[in-house]
Amino acid sequence: MNVLFGNLTHFGALLFFALVVSLTFAFLSKRGIADRVKYTLWAFLAFLLVAIGIGWLMFPFSQ
Amino acid sequence: MDETMKREAVKGNLMMGIVAALAGWVVPGLGHLLLRRWSKAAVYFLCVGGLACAGLAMRGGVFGAGAEDLFDRLGFFADLGAGVFYFLAHQIQAAGPDIAHATGDYGTRLFAAAGMLNLLTALEAYDIGRGGEPR
Repeated sequence: MNVLFGNLTHFGALLFFALVVSLTFAFLSKRGIADRVKYTLWAFLAFLLVAIGIGWLMFPFSQ
Repeated sequence: MDETMKREAVKGNLMMGIVAALAGWVVPGLGHLLLRRWSKAAVYFLCVGGLACAGLAMRGGVFGAGAEDLFDRLGFFADLGAGVFYFLAHQIQAAGPDIAHATGDYGTRLFAAAGMLNLLTALEAYDIGRGGEPR
């Protein structure tokens, strides 16, 4: 397990979290492969966009 | 073809819903497996299990039952949602938690998120087992 996740960077953890949560939500809320793929991609990109946006907003406070 | 499209689900009732929900809580995806939702079972097991294992590998904290602080109690209920991964957390995470570093703190959140996701999947298993509209 440590081989898989032990060296996960913070950004890597963010990508992994976004992917698995998007995938789970897609299977919970959508029917059919096409809808699930579309929803997964959409939610994954939304997670990334929001996380990077919040990161930029918080950047001045780290100085 | 997706199994949800085939409409070959087991005919549902309340008891089946409760059994599926409990099974799905204990082992992520097991409730769906009992209801013959093969792809959902596999995806839920891999996603919840992967998230829980990542959280533990990052040396995240796992909340115990005896917490007095409200947030710790909420954390306990979130963690408990991960089912078997919660009960085996100390075996999986041999080195123990390290929340003094940011990575360990992230791990704590990932493990709690795994628990919450699993509760959602267990609720869905209850709904399908009870005879609700399959998704």
